[in-house]
Amino acid sequence: MNWFTGLINGMLQGATPILLSALGGTFTFYAGIFNIAMEGMMLAGAFFAVLGSYYFGSWLMGILLAILGSLLMALVFIVFAVLIGVDEFVTGIALNLFSLGATTYMLRQIFNVKGGFSDPGIVSIPRIHIPLIRDIPVLGQILSGQNLVVYLAVIATVVSAFVIFRTRFGLRLRAAGYNAASLSSSGVRTDRVRIYSLLICGVLCGLAGAFLSLGYVTLFSENMSAGRGWISLAAVILVNGNPWGIALISLLFGFTDGLGLLLQSYRIPSQFTSMVPYVATLIALFFYSIRAKKRASV
Amino acid sequence: MDNLIEMRDIVKVFPPHVVALDRVTVSFKPGEIHSIVGENGAGKSTLMKVLYGLEHRDAGEIIYRGQPVAFRNPGEAIEAGIGMVHQEILLINEYKVWENVVLGQEPVNWFGKIDENRARQQVQQKIEEFQFNLNPDAVVDEISIAARQKVEILKLLYRNVSVLIMDEPTAVLTPQEIPQLFNELRRLRDNGHTILFISHHLEEVLELSDRITVMRRGKLIDTVPAAETNKAELARMMVGRDVLFTSHREERKAGEPVLDIRGLTLADANQQPRLQDIELQVRSGEIVGVAGVEGNGQFELVNTIMGLTRPTSGQILVAGEDLTGADILTRRRKIAFVPQDRGRMGASVSASITENAMMTHHRLNGRFTEWKGLLLNFRKARQYTDELVERFSVSLGSQAQPFKSLSGGNQQKLILGRELMLDSPFVLLDQPTRGLDVGSIEYVHSQILKMRENGRAVLLFSADLEELLRLADRIVVMFRGRMVADLPVETTNVEEIGYLMLEGKHRNYEQEAS
Amino acid sequence: MSKKLLSGLSGILVALIIGAIVMLGQGYNPIATYGALFKYSWGGLYPLATMLKNSVPLVLTGLSASVAFASGPVNLGQPGQFLIGALFATVGGLYLDLPPVLMVPALLLLSMLGGALWSGVAALLRRLFNMDEFITTLMLNMIADFFTYWAISYPLFDRTAFSPMTPAINRAGWMPVIGQFNTSVLVMVIAFVVILFVFNRWTAGYEWRLTGQNSIFARIGGIDINKNYVTVMLVTGALAGLAGGLVLMAGPHRFLKGLGANYAWDGVMIAVVANNGLIATLLYGLFFSTLQTGALGMELITAVPSEFIQVLQAVTVLVIVAGRETIDIIVDRSVRRRKVRERTA
Repeated sequence: MNWFTGLINGMLQGATPILLSALGGTFTFYAGIFNIAMEGMMLAGAFFAVLGSYYFGSWLMGILLAILGSLLMALVFIVFAVLIGVDEFVTGIALNLFSLGATTYMLRQIFNVKGGFSDPGIVSIPRIHIPLIRDIPVLGQILSGQNLVVYLAVIATVVSAFVIFRTRFGLRLRAAGYNAASLSSSGVRTDRVRIYSLLICGVLCGLAGAFLSLGYVTLFSENMSAGRGWISLAAVILVNGNPWGIALISLLFGFTDGLGLLLQSYRIPSQFTSMVPYVATLIALFFYSIRAKKRASV
Repeated sequence: MDNLIEMRDIVKVFPPHVVALDRVTVSFKPGEIHSIVGENGAGKSTLMKVLYGLEHRDAGEIIYRGQPVAFRNPGEAIEAGIGMVHQEILLINEYKVWENVVLGQEPVNWFGKIDENRARQQVQQKIEEFQFNLNPDAVVDEISIAARQKVEILKLLYRNVSVLIMDEPTAVLTPQEIPQLFNELRRLRDNGHTILFISHHLEEVLELSDRITVMRRGKLIDTVPAAETNKAELARMMVGRDVLFTSHREERKAGEPVLDIRGLTLADANQQPRLQDIELQVRSGEIVGVAGVEGNGQFELVNTIMGLTRPTSGQILVAGEDLTGADILTRRRKIAFVPQDRGRMGASVSASITENAMMTHHRLNGRFTEWKGLLLNFRKARQYTDELVERFSVSLGSQAQPFKSLSGGNQQKLILGRELMLDSPFVLLDQPTRGLDVGSIEYVHSQILKMRENGRAVLLFSADLEELLRLADRIVVMFRGRMVADLPVETTNVEEIGYLMLEGKHRNYEQEAS
Repeated sequence: MSKKLLSGLSGILVALIIGAIVMLGQGYNPIATYGALFKYSWGGLYPLATMLKNSVPLVLTGLSASVAFASGPVNLGQPGQFLIGALFATVGGLYLDLPPVLMVPALLLLSMLGGALWSGVAALLRRLFNMDEFITTLMLNMIADFFTYWAISYPLFDRTAFSPMTPAINRAGWMPVIGQFNTSVLVMVIAFVVILFVFNRWTAGYEWRLTGQNSIFARIGGIDINKNYVTVMLVTGALAGLAGGLVLMAGPHRFLKGLGANYAWDGVMIAVVANNGLIATLLYGLFFSTLQTGALGMELITAVPSEFIQVLQAVTVLVIVAGRETIDIIVDRSVRRRKVRERTA
C-alpha cells in the first residue's frame, strides 16, 4: 500500500500550493480583477519564508514573514492597478518580474549565494499527527501526518466558500465583479472591495509560498514558483472561481505532479515527468473550451 | 415649510466654458409629481445630478426640509431620503431580486453572514406595501425590463427614501408598460412620496404630472401646473420657437426589391428559436422601419444580414445576389452598415480618424491601395477622408486625432459618411440617432431621406416610434423572432405599433368590447 | 509621439533615482555604479558591440510580443518559441553541411520555422478548440523548456561534456563577425525594418492593428480575423524563434542549458513598457541591453550584484507604465472637457 499512500501524499503535496494561490485568485476573480500576479506573490512568499525561518529560527516567523512579503507584492498591485489605474495585465507582468528580480537580488545580497539557499538552520513547517486518526489503517496515513499547511489549506477552502457565498462581504465581492457600477450606486466603495480581495489573495499566496520553501523541502531557489502561479490562474479560469471546484482541480494537478514522480521510477526521463502538470493543464483547458464552445449562444 | 426642496441660483459649468446650469431656481413641493422637461442637453439631468450628489455645483444653494444641504455623493442623498432611478438599469443580473434590493444594506448575523430570511421578509414586506408584483427570489436576468425598473425603485424604497428622481424611465418601456408605471408612481405620490420626473416626452408628462418645469439650454424657462398647459406651449418653451409635429416626406414610388429575405430561421445553441421564418423585402427608394421591444430578434436579424451569424435556414439576397453563406467582405460590397454601438462595432475609438474612415474601403475602394492591394496609399486615404468630412459636415481638428476626440454627433456623421460613400444599394441602420443631440438627429434624418431619394434601399431599426413614423414608408414589427406585421406607415399609428410590439398581434376590438 | 518620449525618459530617470536611493541605502556609490554601467556598455567599441549583440534577443522577442499584443493574440510564448527555434537551428547546424553563405540563412530560416511551429501549435489549439492562447502559450513555454532540456541531455547530448549541452554546430553556421561587431545585429535590424514596414504600410498590417484595437469592428469591416490571427501568431513565433537561432549562432554555438535564460520574458516586459510601439520596442530593447551588459562590469567595479539590474528593470517598467497612466488621465480629462463643450454648445 505504500505506493498508494505515497501517491496520495505526493498529490496533496503538489496540490496544496496551487490550491492556496488559486483560492487567492478566486477572490480577485470574483472582484472582477484580472490578476496574474499570483506567481510573483507566491515567489515572494517563498523567499521571505526562508528568511524568517532562518533568522528567527522559527517556522511560525517564516510563515508570518512569507505572508508579509506576499502582502507587499499585493500592495504594489493595489497601488498601481487599483489606485493609479494601470492596466491589470501589465501590472501583473511587471509585478512578477519585479518579484523575480527582487528575490534573486536579495538571495544574493542577504545570503551571499547564487541559485539557491539551503541551510540546516532553516526550520521547516512541521507535520501534524492526529492521535486516534493516525491509527486508522490506510486512511490514517493520509488524514494524519500531513504538513500543517495542508490542513490550513483545507480550512481555507471551507472558509473561502463560506465567505464568498454567505457573507455580506462575499455578496459585495461578487457584485464588484458582476457589475461594479451597480455596486457603487448601492453606496458601496468598490475600490475597497477590490483592495480587500487583493489583500486576501496576498495572504493566501504567501502561505502557498511558505509551503513551497518550508514544507517538504527547506530551501529557496531562484524562480522557485516555477509556473505554479500560472497553473493556479488556469485553475481559477477553468472552474469559473468556485472554491470547491478549485479544490478538485488542484487535487488533479497535484495528482499529475505526484504522477510525474511516480513515472520517474519507470525510467521515463525526468524532463517528461516534469511536463505532466503542464500538459494536464492543456488537456483540462481542452475540455473546458470544448464545453464552452458548445454552450455559447450563436 | 411649503416647499420640500428648493434649489436657488444653481450654476454648473463644465470647464472651460460650457454652462450647463445658468442660475436655475426651482422648488418642489412634497407629495407632488413634478416633471422636468427639455431637449437633450437642456440641463435637466444635470440639475438632478447636482441635487443627488453626482455632480458638484459651482454656485447656488439647495434647501431640503428647511435646511441647506450639499450631498457629496449619492449615498448621502439616499440617507437623507432622496433617491434616483437612472435611465440605465444598474442591477446585478446574476443576483436575485432580494439580493439586489438589500445590496449595500444587508441584514447580518455574526461574522457578517447575511440573514437571508430577514432580508427576504423585509423585501417581501415592501413589495406588498407598494403592490409591486415582484417575486423576491426571481433572478433579475430573467425578468422583464419593466420589472427591473421596479426593482430599482424598490431598492430606494427599502432605504426609506421619500423623494424619487426618475430619469427618462419610459425610454426602456413599451407603450403598454407605461400606464402601469404611471399608476405605481401615482400610488407612491398618494402615499406621500415626491416624484421628480425627467423626460422629453410631452404627452407622458402632461398625463402624469402635477406641475411641469421647462428647461432650455441650462436656463429654467418656467414652471406651470400641468392642467394649465398643452403640448404646443410646452414645445415652444422647450425649443424657443413654434414646432410643427408633422413630417416632410414626399411621395415616392419604390423600385425593385434590393433586400430579399426569405424564410430566415435561426436557432441558437440551445435549440431556442431566435428568428422564425422571416420574410422581408426592401425596395430601392424605400425606407422600411423595424419596430420591436429590444430582445425580440432584432439583434439576431442584424447579425444574420451582416454575416456575424449563420442562419439555420432561409435565404438572404441583396441586389439579386445570394449572400446567405457569404463572408462579411462579400456582403460589404453590397451592404452599408451603421451599427447600434458606435464605439463597439462602428469604430475603433483609439485609432485615428483617417484609419476609421478607411475601414472597408481599404479592401473595396481601389483608390487606396497599390501593388495589387497589398500596400496602402495613406495620402490618398487622407484625401478621401477630407472629402468625407466636407460632404458630411463633420467638424474636427485634425484627421490624425483619435476617433474618440470627436463628439457623439460628429462620430455618427463620420460613420454614416463612410458607409454612404461605399455606394451600396442597401443600407442597414441600427438605432442611428441614439444618444445624439437635436441638431445631429435632424441632420441624420435628412441624410436618411436623401438615401431614399437616391434610390437606395434602407432598413431602419429604431426604438423611437416617432422617428419610424416620420421616416419610414413601411413599418414591420418584430415579436419573439417573428415578423408579426408589415404596415404602410399611413395606415398605422403609435398605439397600434405599441400593441403589436407587446402582444404580437393586432388588437381585437370586438373581443374587448364584448 | 512626444508624450511617449516624455513618459519614457522621465520614467527612466525616476527609476534610476529610485535605484540610486536603494544603492545608497545599502552603502553603494550610485554615481560610480551608473558610471560603470555605462562604461561597460557604451564606453568603447567592444562594450558597444557586446551591448548590441545582447540587444538582439531582447529586441526580437520584444517585437514578437509587441506585434502580437497590438494585433490581438496574447502570445506569451516567446520563451518557448525561442527555445524551439534555437533547437531547430541546432539540429540543422549539427546535421547540415553547407558553405557559410547558404548555411547561415538556412539555419536562420530553420529557427524561424521552429518558432512559428511552436506558436502555430497554440494558434491551432485556439482555432480548432477555442483554447485561450494566453494559457496555452504559457504551458507550451514550460513544455518547451523541459523538452529541450531532454533533447540536449539525451539524443543531442555531447558525450564529452559534463553538463547537458550539444556539440558545437558546424563552423559554417556561426554568425560572421565584422571587426568587433556581430552580424546578428544586422539581421535584427533587417527584421525590424521589415516588420515596421509591414505593420504600417502593408494592408495586412493595417488590418492587424485595427483587429487588435477592436476585433468586432474589424470583422464588420470585412477583415478576416481568423486568417489574420493565425498569420500574426506564426509571424511573431518566427520572430521569437529567430531570436533563439541568432543567440545560438552568435553566442555559444551550441545549445546548452540556460540558453536564453530570461531573454524571452524580458521581451514581454519590453513590449509592455513600450506600449506595443515598434520603435519604442527597439529603443527599450537597447536600453535594457545596456543595463544587462553593463551589469557584470558594474559588479566588478562597485560590487553591486548584477542581479540588481533585474530589480532596476522591473522598477523602470512600473514607473514608466504608471507615469503613462497618469499622463493619460490628464490628457483624457482635457479631451473630455472639450467634448462636453462641443456637445452642449
